[in-house]
Amino acid sequence: MAWKRDDPPAHNPEPSPAPPPRSVAPAPAPAPPATPSSSHEPPRRTDRATIGPSIFIKGDLSGEEDLVIEGRVEGKVDLKQNNVTVGKNGKVKADVLGRVVTIEGEVTGNVFAREQAILRQAGAIFGNIQAPRVILEDGSRFKGSIDMEAPKETGAPNRDHRSEPSRAEPSRAETAGVKAGV
Amino acid sequence: MSWFSPRGSGPRKEQQGRGQALAEPDVHRSLALAALFDEIRGRKVQVLDLGPAVGSNVEFLSQFGCKLYIEDLYAALSSRTTSGEGDLAGPEFFTEFLAIPDETRFDVIFAWDLFNYLHRKELVHFAAQLRRHCDRGARLFALMSILKTMPAQPFRFKIQDEQHLIYERRTSTERPSPRYAPAEITDTFKGFRVDRSFLLRHGIQEFLLVKD
Repeated sequence: MAWKRDDPPAHNPEPSPAPPPRSVAPAPAPAPPATPSSSHEPPRRTDRATIGPSIFIKGDLSGEEDLVIEGRVEGKVDLKQNNVTVGKNGKVKADVLGRVVTIEGEVTGNVFAREQAILRQAGAIFGNIQAPRVILEDGSRFKGSIDMEAPKETGAPNRDHRSEPSRAEPSRAETAGVKAGV
Repeated sequence: MSWFSPRGSGPRKEQQGRGQALAEPDVHRSLALAALFDEIRGRKVQVLDLGPAVGSNVEFLSQFGCKLYIEDLYAALSSRTTSGEGDLAGPEFFTEFLAIPDETRFDVIFAWDLFNYLHRKELVHFAAQLRRHCDRGARLFALMSILKTMPAQPFRFKIQDEQHLIYERRTSTERPSPRYAPAEITDTFKGFRVDRSFLLRHGIQEFLLVKD
């Protein structure tokens, strides 16, 4: 099973009925709440996809839900509107783009976060970070540059010698929220 | 064997510290650091930090809106494979270590106490590499030991505020200090001159070099 959909974070304090049995196939997006929202922004999906530790993906990833990578990815991870976490077992060889990017594993490539980049103690980044706010925990490994200017919407961080992620073969893996491939 | 001997097998024998336990981090006033921040305030600068990645330093430097390059020289030297006696890091090592685009220019370089751990010949090679990436007015912050011995590994420095540095020991083991004289520093770092120098009570001489 390549893709696991985690339970959505428990943001809603109200009790909810027991969830239906989990399906192997990706579930459709949850229906919007019946109560009117005070915000004019479209509701953000809180789903989270997981790439398991035994999964190896060659190809670019894009989508509209949060992603946790515990496996290996060789290809650009582009989820600008969502959070990306490279877990302790996760290894990414390519650029990672997200809203909040958290690295607990290893990234060889540039990290580009719209809001914040976090390098945890056990994490390593060999590449450049571009984010308005950067947190490096002591003990983490980092080699590269940090640019704390607000990144541009569309571009990736400036590349230099450090990361030349290969344009990998596209993968066929795909879910409702996160697509792998070109 | 290289001058730089992180595992304590170098020509200059390390001496055991009095206690095995690491001392609590010390906080020391830094006059050169204060002078440096006065110089760069209000400018967007490119900074090269030759120490390990320290989160609080990144956070502190973020207020200057700088672009920060972190290149851990000590880690690179530690992982270098040496081939025998007198095997010093040559120019190729430093070129590879600082493999950044030619056009990259640094306004500030934090060398911390790392120069104490380089042989004079290595310093010459490294200075040549740094010079290539500095324009006129670039500043280099270095801490030189004037004591007979120093920790066998460089301190981990944390910027507490614009005038204070936290010194964190990484080992209780000591090794002899090269005790570079100020004249040796200026001789080695041709193209730089000593802008400020402060001798601190705890046996550290702070240097703020500026590129001519």
